[in-house]
Amino acid sequence: MAQPISKIIKINENVSFEVKIAGQGEPVVFLHNLGGLKWNQFLDELSNHYQVYAPHLPGTGASTGLETIRDLWDLILCYYDLFDELGLESAHVIGHSLGGMIAAELAATDQSRVKQLVAIAPAGLFREDHPIPDMFAMLPEELNRLVVLDQDSPAAQMMRYVPEDLDERTEMMIERIQNQVAAAKFLWPIPDKGLKSRIHRIKAQTLLVWGKQDGLIPVVYGEEFHRRIAHSELKIIESASHLVDVEQTEEVISLIRDFLKTSDIAFTL
Amino acid sequence: MKFIAFHFMPYRELPSDFEEKYPSVWVTPPKTLFDPERGHRMYHDYLDELEYAIDLGFDGVGVNEHHSNAYGMMPSPNLMASILSRKIRKSDKTSLLILGNSLASYNPPVRVAEEMAMLDVLSGGKLIAGFPVGTSMDQNYAYGINPAELRERYYEAHDLIMKAWKSDDVFMWNGKYNQLRYVNPWPRTAQRPHPPVWIPGGGSVETYDFCIENQYSFSFLSYFGHKYANKVLGPFWERNDELGGDRNPYKTGICQFIFVSETDERAQIEYEEHIRYFFSKCMHTDRRFAEAPGYRTVKSLRAGLRSQFDGTKKRPGDMLKDGTMTWQDLIDEGFIIAGSPATVRDRLRDVLQTLRAGNVVCLLHAGSMPHWLTLKNMQLFAEEVMPYVKDIHSEWDHSQYWPKGFSEEKVQEAVTQP
Repeated sequence: MAQPISKIIKINENVSFEVKIAGQGEPVVFLHNLGGLKWNQFLDELSNHYQVYAPHLPGTGASTGLETIRDLWDLILCYYDLFDELGLESAHVIGHSLGGMIAAELAATDQSRVKQLVAIAPAGLFREDHPIPDMFAMLPEELNRLVVLDQDSPAAQMMRYVPEDLDERTEMMIERIQNQVAAAKFLWPIPDKGLKSRIHRIKAQTLLVWGKQDGLIPVVYGEEFHRRIAHSELKIIESASHLVDVEQTEEVISLIRDFLKTSDIAFTL
Repeated sequence: MKFIAFHFMPYRELPSDFEEKYPSVWVTPPKTLFDPERGHRMYHDYLDELEYAIDLGFDGVGVNEHHSNAYGMMPSPNLMASILSRKIRKSDKTSLLILGNSLASYNPPVRVAEEMAMLDVLSGGKLIAGFPVGTSMDQNYAYGINPAELRERYYEAHDLIMKAWKSDDVFMWNGKYNQLRYVNPWPRTAQRPHPPVWIPGGGSVETYDFCIENQYSFSFLSYFGHKYANKVLGPFWERNDELGGDRNPYKTGICQFIFVSETDERAQIEYEEHIRYFFSKCMHTDRRFAEAPGYRTVKSLRAGLRSQFDGTKKRPGDMLKDGTMTWQDLIDEGFIIAGSPATVRDRLRDVLQTLRAGNVVCLLHAGSMPHWLTLKNMQLFAEEVMPYVKDIHSEWDHSQYWPKGFSEEKVQEAVTQP
């Protein structure tokens, strides 16, 4: 696996992003989920085709300044500032779950900054007839069962891993909790922070990718996103749950590559 | 020493299979288990018990705040305190302890400044104002407060309330969470500049510093008694010494279950089932709600996690759950102090001197305890124990941490017009 380089980028006096960068080609920004940014097979594969910029959400990894970010609006502006610092006038943005919600907000707020949007099982909408379960009131093993379909898969095994060494275990737990703290800031107590009133502004071509057996944000949400985003297509992946990008890496990568090849002409209004 | 008769006001009649059938006494206990007519009886029994404590001359009576909780039926402690204030105003011994209002959930927090000022005036300047952060179950899960904001909201509310109490002027508040053009609560507090403030807390250094710097009394409120409290108060005093604070014992308080009967044997016969009801049902909480991400600071987390992973020592709650604790274990572990007046006196004296705690939040009612037994316990404690241990720490001045009160002015008799 290629090792990405890690860069600290200060965007204002309070907020710095740690950004993992790898690969060559067209720039693609990847926004991670509630579990934090892990450089995995999916990102590695992605970086074989694109120049991948993967920032850690403030408050996770070495990104700082979470406490100075008041709300989602502040957060979105931070990402635009980060784009500026990275020299990205606009870029393809791929986001998973929480990252998908942030990606959608980025595309809805300033339509010029997101070239094409790939939202993989994004959060951001909420339906009372299909409530997303409370991910902040779940035992780790319960969450694992909801987000990974095959409990024998490497993805599931990775999630269950607990280090023997007590110091390592403590640090791992703290890292895990910090990821949740940062995510909870923008998702607590119900992951609906008003995207529904802005989502119609998304003009970028959008690929929605969903695991057919998503146990956290079920496919019905994929249909909802698809209905609400004008130039969108929904691809449902067999034999996958919420972590579809790691569960079916090859297929998701190939969908993304096909999608990012398409030009505006392929879409009709 | 100062002794407070404290009440959680639990629902006394949870079904016997409650802990097997339902996941939690807190956040999700089914409302259908609450019978309002039984609840009516319980509320009035409990208020009678606290009023009786005033007759018995306790230094304080106390109430607290919980939400969606079947062992703490006081979502609004101020309502209960206002009823008690009518009797407290006539007492020359008893203060009114609200421990307290969870500041972050009052919108705007000026509401706390207002209601507590009302209570201070009603009680004759005898209010002690408790400012807890509140548990994660109450604040994050039942009240939906974002854990990332909870502590900031708490500190901002604290600053706003204290300014509202201290200031003589109408002022403006441009905070992160509260914007108010006109802060000017009426009435103002009877105690000037403000009632004594107590902070119930766990073991975080941030809280120690907050109390020591502001001269607030720190109370460690755990259901697991003095031995457990010692682990927290020890570091509190160390920190206090580091910061150069005086060693006034009234700076700290503990919470303790106390059960007195004629003999040690009788105490077990009378109280054991009710204590077990408390520990098996009222402590039956769903660990999914134990702590929202962000409720504890990373500093506190690191300390807590490490000790959680260390060794094989069971935590007190687990020991009780698996039913392996005997009556003697409950006593030895310090969860309860129980027995004849002489036994309780000796134990208490020993504990209070070791702990350096000037305030004891006495839990004299537990779980399913019936009214008559609670009255008996209170009376035996007040008459047979309290007077014999009052002298501990009496060389220290408690006035920073306790109300002075004012005596009631003479009521003008109605004059019949000739």
